[in-house]
Amino acid sequence: MSTLLLGTVSPARRLRNRLATASIWLSVLVAAIPLAFVVTYLVRRGAGIVDWKFLTGDIPISSRLRGPGMGPAVLGTLLTTGAATAMAVPLGVLAAVYLNEYGKRGRLAGVIRFLSDVMAGVPSVVMGLFIYTVWVLRFGQTGFAGALALGCLMLPIVIRSAETALQLVPNELREASAALGARPSRTILTVVLPAALAGVVSGALLAVARAAGETAPLLFTIGTVTESNRHLFDGTNTSLSAQIFINARQPFEGAIDRAWGAALTLIVLVFVLTAVARLVARRFTVR
Amino acid sequence: MRRRSTRFAGPVAGLLGVALLASACGGSDKADTASTDTGSQATATTKEPALSATLNASGATFPKGFYEVVIAGYKKVQPGVTVNYNATGSGAGRQSLQDGVVDFAGSDGLVAAADVSKYKGEFLYIPTTAAPITVSYNLGEVKDLTLDADTIAKLFQRQIKKWDDPAIAALNPGVKLPSTDVTVAHRSDGSGTTENFTKYLVAAAPAAWTLKSGSTVEWPADTQGGNGNQGVAQIVKATSGAIGYVDLSDAKASGLQFAKIKNKAGKAVVADLAGATAALAGAQVNADLTYNPLNADGADAYPITAPTWILVYKNQADKAKGEAIRSFLRYMLTDGQKLAKDVDYAPLAPALLQKAASQLDVLVVPA
Amino acid sequence: MTITTAPPSPPARRPLTSPGRAGWSDRAFRGVSLGCGLLVLVILGLIAVSTTREAWPAFSHDGLRFFTSKRWAPSADVFGSLPFVYGTVVTAIIALVLAVPVSVGIALFLSDVAPRRLRRPVSSLVDLLAAIPSVVYGLWGVIVLAPWISGVYDRISDVTSPVPFVSTLFAGPSTGRGLFTAGIILALMVTPIITSITREVFDTVPVTAKEAAYALGATRWEMLRAAVFPHSRAGMTGAVMLGLGRAMGETIAAALVIGSSPQITAHLFRSGDSMAAVIANEFGESGGVHRAALIGLGVELFALTIVVNVVARTIIARGRRNG
Repeated sequence: MSTLLLGTVSPARRLRNRLATASIWLSVLVAAIPLAFVVTYLVRRGAGIVDWKFLTGDIPISSRLRGPGMGPAVLGTLLTTGAATAMAVPLGVLAAVYLNEYGKRGRLAGVIRFLSDVMAGVPSVVMGLFIYTVWVLRFGQTGFAGALALGCLMLPIVIRSAETALQLVPNELREASAALGARPSRTILTVVLPAALAGVVSGALLAVARAAGETAPLLFTIGTVTESNRHLFDGTNTSLSAQIFINARQPFEGAIDRAWGAALTLIVLVFVLTAVARLVARRFTVR
Repeated sequence: MRRRSTRFAGPVAGLLGVALLASACGGSDKADTASTDTGSQATATTKEPALSATLNASGATFPKGFYEVVIAGYKKVQPGVTVNYNATGSGAGRQSLQDGVVDFAGSDGLVAAADVSKYKGEFLYIPTTAAPITVSYNLGEVKDLTLDADTIAKLFQRQIKKWDDPAIAALNPGVKLPSTDVTVAHRSDGSGTTENFTKYLVAAAPAAWTLKSGSTVEWPADTQGGNGNQGVAQIVKATSGAIGYVDLSDAKASGLQFAKIKNKAGKAVVADLAGATAALAGAQVNADLTYNPLNADGADAYPITAPTWILVYKNQADKAKGEAIRSFLRYMLTDGQKLAKDVDYAPLAPALLQKAASQLDVLVVPA
Repeated sequence: MTITTAPPSPPARRPLTSPGRAGWSDRAFRGVSLGCGLLVLVILGLIAVSTTREAWPAFSHDGLRFFTSKRWAPSADVFGSLPFVYGTVVTAIIALVLAVPVSVGIALFLSDVAPRRLRRPVSSLVDLLAAIPSVVYGLWGVIVLAPWISGVYDRISDVTSPVPFVSTLFAGPSTGRGLFTAGIILALMVTPIITSITREVFDTVPVTAKEAAYALGATRWEMLRAAVFPHSRAGMTGAVMLGLGRAMGETIAAALVIGSSPQITAHLFRSGDSMAAVIANEFGESGGVHRAALIGLGVELFALTIVVNVVARTIIARGRRNG
């Protein structure tokens, strides 16, 4: 440490510092390169394929055929993620309300918080198997079964993001409401939740984006179709992600094209949701 | 203040969720009735009255290409009948029929004698088509390659690791073989194609082939698994030096090259429909319409020709479904047979077709 | 629209709820929200119970061998899960070896190195990596990466063939689909997770500690080593464990590029199989004990990832408390 004199840094130390800085910059580059490749391929291969007919047309009955059609998958993705959202968001937000408004620092709340973090780490394929064992074995493969699996995946994400949003609501609002004589439940429903709405919505949208891109939970739960099925509880269904998985394993040009087209469609969907979530979060953050 | 404007948004969102669920529930009821009463005004081109039913079937992936065109063709004749064929594999199809969750099953293999009693009654075998299984490879310039059963066995057991191996060279005089490493591609999922391919090796190369036969076998360690015939075709297509077994239809549609195989008579035969038909002619058909065209006799027989059947219960419980099954299968055995060649499946020989058609009369449908 | 000019109207003064019913509805609301919270517990419990029950035929069929045998032969009704556990662990380790240095680098870049105007784009880049669905990585991996990288593998195995131990690891030939390719794709997927948590941890390092290091004349690297790393050790370990959990459970991308060959091999460039991948690949065409065995693999995977996640979360929580 004798070299630690003001303004004199030995060449060896300077070199080490330079190397470290360079490798930190390099790591950013290393992550950026594959990302750039993925996005470039996606746009280059997918752009020529996605058009209105692709988004609405039926899936060819034989994967050998060329030409459009991912309409049933677009519908299936919207249907299953929509239903999953309708289930997971209210439940998740209520659970967050318990954690932040009632349980607080208590033991039970701590356990639930911890377990929802653990649940977020449960592999999505296991969620699929779970719904297969409790639902599909009894009621068969439907869009709803897929939605159940996706909902299970979304639940912990919604809980934690909603709790963070609730934490940001200033306590003065709760106190003011209580001072007006409002019961806790009324305070929560009419004061706290509306104040936290932006954060809750953006967290929920991120969970939706995650669910829309998931494939593994759907493999055993929704089956497959080539014609649109708008019934959630009746008959098998399909999704963009499942169609990418199926078509990526085909040797036929037409199928590979459809996989790229579906991938581009899915990515655009996910990015729009993510961007909206960011916008909502930035615009309406409680300051 | 923003709070004011979004005051009711929370409860409203919750209500919306409930409403969405409720409306989805409602939707399912409508679907049940809709699926059975559409198509009553169908304009049938045959003399048959218009039928209306939804048939669910699952099973073999091998004939999927053929069944797809038959289903599409039949839809034009009987628009009221929807046939869903889910290519889940022969084993899964037989299991589904056993469990009674499908109306008929596709299978490349026969039901084991021990399992017959597990079915919900007597069932019929209806042969529908046959097709060659190719031994496809990816060797750039080598367009013409001949293999025999022993060599195929050694290749797939990783005993031959280079393409210029003397055993291959001996079968291909005058062909310049590269020293490329062999990559073996096989099915990663259970499959009737694997079953028929390995049955052929058991029959034709009993000494060399040690992995036995079955819908899955224990492949040597350094091999590659692909999902479905298409998955194997994709690996072969993408990998120089790769070899894999793929049905003719998929091999041709993916633009693969495939080897001539030396048959029982010692003649190298290319995998095509003529070779398959010759193999069918050489096969002995049993009373229940099961037959084995693998490693068949006949100078022109392609030795790896795989049969496939549709399994259906003899006593049908539901009138509408039973009639639809009979009508659909009759279509497959008549007009449907004309569609086979377009998708590289071999139509059945007239004699076998006639027997198959007479099986349909055995089918008992409640009046 | 009506415009009222009235002064604050009486209803605002009235208590918002009538006392009697409010107490009941209040308790009901609290109960419902608690119920939703407990749902997490219920679901986790149900997962364990119902999957184990469906997997039982396989567990009782094979007994302990299910966990210890390396023979997976559905045709012979033998189900040993070891090759899949091996493939899962190996691909996850490859992913971590590749992803951890990069993630820590990006996190350091964002917390201490980046010029202000680069911070936002780089952090969006990480978000972008996280937003791409795994099936899209898989599609890119199998169609673009695998054919290209098999050439790279061949060159590496040629170069390393004289070196004793390394030549085994990198032996060819390869189709480009295998354990290492799966590891690369998994690395892309866990990088954003490790980065974001590590960065969170780095951001909690007290500025005073950093400034103290600089005041002693430390270079930036020395500051990072003296002030940032010791403070963040627990958090970083937790982040890596979370990444491990994610990598082990990743299904679709692995199913597409891993090569589907259940074997225990030291040849990293060759094909293998992982627990999640084999479930995705074989489930559709399975039946009977085979299907039970695949669900059993799911139970095993569930147990493994739960352990990893519990450890990770405990470490992170403890680090946060101490930090």
